[in-house]
Amino acid sequence: MAASTKKQIPCRDGLWSIPSSLDEKPQLIGSKCPNCGEVFFPVNSVCVNCQSQAMNDIKLSRRGKVYSVSTVMLPPPQWYKGPVPFDLGYVELPDGVMIWTRLMGSGAGSFRIDQEVELDIDVMQVDDEGNEILGYCFVPVKS
Amino acid sequence: MREVAIAGVGLVKFGRYDGRKGRPRRLYPDLGGEAIRRALVYAGMEWKEIQAAFGGTYYGGLGGTHQCVAKVGLTGIPIANVFSGHSSEAALRLAYTRVALGVHDIVLAVGAETLPPGLLDNQSMPTWMRRMALDVLPAEAACSAVRYMKDSGATLDDFAAVTVMERKNAALNPYAMFKQPVTPEEVLNSRMIASPLNLLTTCANADGAAAVVFCAKDKLKSKTKAVTVASVLQTSATYGTALPGGSVSVSTRVKNPDCVELAARQTWEASGLGPGDMDVVQIYDPFAPAFLWNVERCGFCRQGEAPRLLRDGYFEIGGKLPANTDGGLMGRGHPTGATGIAQIAEVFFQLREEADSRQVAGARVGFAQGGGAGPQAVLTVLKR
Amino acid sequence: MRQVAIAGVGLVKFGRYDGQKGRPYREIYELGAEAIKKALDYASMEWKDIQVAYGASMFGGLGVPNQCTSRLGMPGIPITTLEGACSSSQQSLRQAYLDVANGLYDVALAFGAEKIPPGLIADTLSPVWMLMMGFNLPAMYAIDTRRYMQESGITEEDMARVAVMERKNGIRNPNAFWYQGAEITIEEVLGSREIATPIRFLMACANADGASAAVVCSMDKLKSKSRAVTVVASSHATSTFGYDNLGIRVHEKVNLNCTELACKQVWETSGYGPEDMEVIQLYEAMSPSFLWDAEHCGFCKPGEVGKLLREGHFEIGGKLPANTDGGLMGRGHPTGATGLAQLIELFLQLRGEAGERQVPNAKIAFAHCSGGGPNGVCHVLKR
Repeated sequence: MAASTKKQIPCRDGLWSIPSSLDEKPQLIGSKCPNCGEVFFPVNSVCVNCQSQAMNDIKLSRRGKVYSVSTVMLPPPQWYKGPVPFDLGYVELPDGVMIWTRLMGSGAGSFRIDQEVELDIDVMQVDDEGNEILGYCFVPVKS
Repeated sequence: MREVAIAGVGLVKFGRYDGRKGRPRRLYPDLGGEAIRRALVYAGMEWKEIQAAFGGTYYGGLGGTHQCVAKVGLTGIPIANVFSGHSSEAALRLAYTRVALGVHDIVLAVGAETLPPGLLDNQSMPTWMRRMALDVLPAEAACSAVRYMKDSGATLDDFAAVTVMERKNAALNPYAMFKQPVTPEEVLNSRMIASPLNLLTTCANADGAAAVVFCAKDKLKSKTKAVTVASVLQTSATYGTALPGGSVSVSTRVKNPDCVELAARQTWEASGLGPGDMDVVQIYDPFAPAFLWNVERCGFCRQGEAPRLLRDGYFEIGGKLPANTDGGLMGRGHPTGATGIAQIAEVFFQLREEADSRQVAGARVGFAQGGGAGPQAVLTVLKR
Repeated sequence: MRQVAIAGVGLVKFGRYDGQKGRPYREIYELGAEAIKKALDYASMEWKDIQVAYGASMFGGLGVPNQCTSRLGMPGIPITTLEGACSSSQQSLRQAYLDVANGLYDVALAFGAEKIPPGLIADTLSPVWMLMMGFNLPAMYAIDTRRYMQESGITEEDMARVAVMERKNGIRNPNAFWYQGAEITIEEVLGSREIATPIRFLMACANADGASAAVVCSMDKLKSKSRAVTVVASSHATSTFGYDNLGIRVHEKVNLNCTELACKQVWETSGYGPEDMEVIQLYEAMSPSFLWDAEHCGFCKPGEVGKLLREGHFEIGGKLPANTDGGLMGRGHPTGATGLAQLIELFLQLRGEAGERQVPNAKIAFAHCSGGGPNGVCHVLKR
């Protein structure tokens, strides 16, 4: 039997940190402006608020609160291959941004505003070569 | 800048021209060509008098305006396909400014659309976002609606009330897609699209076309009941209110007016008028709840006040501030490339006292909020 | 109308940014944002100085310009996309110019960005029934070419000669697709694979990704007035009766085509004529159109262009240097960015910044850009 050459590929490079030990968990990687403190995800070389070009990388907080959420009943026409219905929403992070994200890990329609959620990296789909495409999402905090 | 008048408008009834279920099959250039001809007839002008054209189609592909114009005349004039959220809003702004600045005397703006069925393909996001379904078009508005309910106390009944009002108005508009009013129960029970938006609180895909001829006021064939443009202002998404391109984060620290509020402020300043001067308005509402927050952002009432005013009948044809008297996006349907000009057309008809059973008595000053993806805003004030 | 200067320009090297075969992967909005930043830097201006923006992108979607600008700032200025197929970005410049010339704004941005999908360029201008019958873009060009060959006497060798010249120029242009690439010979061009006779593979422009941007402003807003380049005239014309939506003549010639109309307009408004131009840009997605463009724009008499080409008339060292940066074939053709790139080369020539492509002491320049619609867009620039 041939060895499996299946890989795990992020949907886009550089979106989250790769843990270097078992205790570490992935974090979303953004940019922070040293001039005005605004934060961006994914990274951006220019501060869209004050146009400073001295941006620093920042690892965003893994936890946040649901700012708003909607349960989508119709499958999008093209690229998405996940379950339907599913939840999309904004998660507010203490870093000063809201992230537009899938909300998963409990039944569609189960999320509430202000609910605590945390980052998860999941296998979204498999490409033509059998590689697993990874994405980010937020899931309920296990309390 | 010199005074610019609207010489004529032309509409093709919004609906489906897909050739199915006994419906006629017509493509957008054909619809656009018809709208142009109607606008010319209204204006008492011939094609050869048009000196430039702006327009477009959102989903029809390239060369949209050229293809519509080619159904009417080929005189070599500059024809520009434009877009800012949708096409006809950008088109009407450019058509107006080119006449106001004296670049041309008579300019056409046209928008036409034949939409594919189903959920519209959102091309504004890169593939990696689309794999995560972040491109689903109603979802962002749905999340805004959820938040609006929390912050303002608006309910699903309030959203349904927008659709009920607009469907009632649409039944009086020969150019609207929908002929039948609906009840609140029908709206609330319709199929869920993206919670809390359901089928009847989401505008319907529609085909259609709309055209408008702008001309220098002194070039009008007939000056009676002349409608002139007081202002047209266009804005784009502001920092902290929308996702930047290629980005999935929005600031929670910076508070800026959104593009609608910004355009509204510029409008009141440029036109020298205020929200209280408007006799009839058009509000951009591809989703019923958007009617409520856009009414507020345009400055017609305080934040959070719109649901109560709606309940009081404030926005009805007979109310204090008649809005979307032709049905708005919920009642007219939404051929994306044509909606902006259709909004202007209704305000125009109202000011000309040609709105039949939709007529707002004594309407002399009107307002239209055009919108679109981005988001973007084009706000127009017309007066007679 | 007041004088309008080009305050700054920016280009992202035309190439492929698809992440394939070891090439870098860049999103279209990254390309656009980079070109805009370069133009702002050149102009010594900041994003907040821009009062209005006109963008272009043909295949990326109509919202691409907003994606590009929102990487840099979101002040809420009006941002409008122009779509005129290959003439899109030059139309953006035209609208920016009109706004400033007529006093609506003082500082305006024009830009274009493109990533071309692989393969034959899709044609949405032709109705489906025509496409079903096999009509396609190279075939339309080929039909026009056959007719032109018969009327003007130009040969396939002339068409190949254009390709050779443009490749040679592109090789010297750091922002071109073919920068530091290999020269080609007439024999190689004539031996290359046929696409639609008589058009051969090496007579067609390379699909490319890229971005271009320019800041235009009123004279009082220019940071530095030395060697200021101004837009002297701008025009835009479309099809007259007798031509189809790709500009191909379908009747006996009763009217001017959109190129001839647009050129006529700039000669009239600028007060200059073709004989006054010192460096030019002609539009040639496929090499034969260089030849008929030269004629329709008034740079030679009917039937004369083949002879002039063979004499080296259009070479960088010739009487009327054309497409000195490589043109569409040498530069590559990111459709939404090409039109403005033509003007940027003219700007650099007039400023004396064209490096080894420099036409000595060029002071006045002309560009014509075509695009499906059809559209003909022309500009005259002066230093």
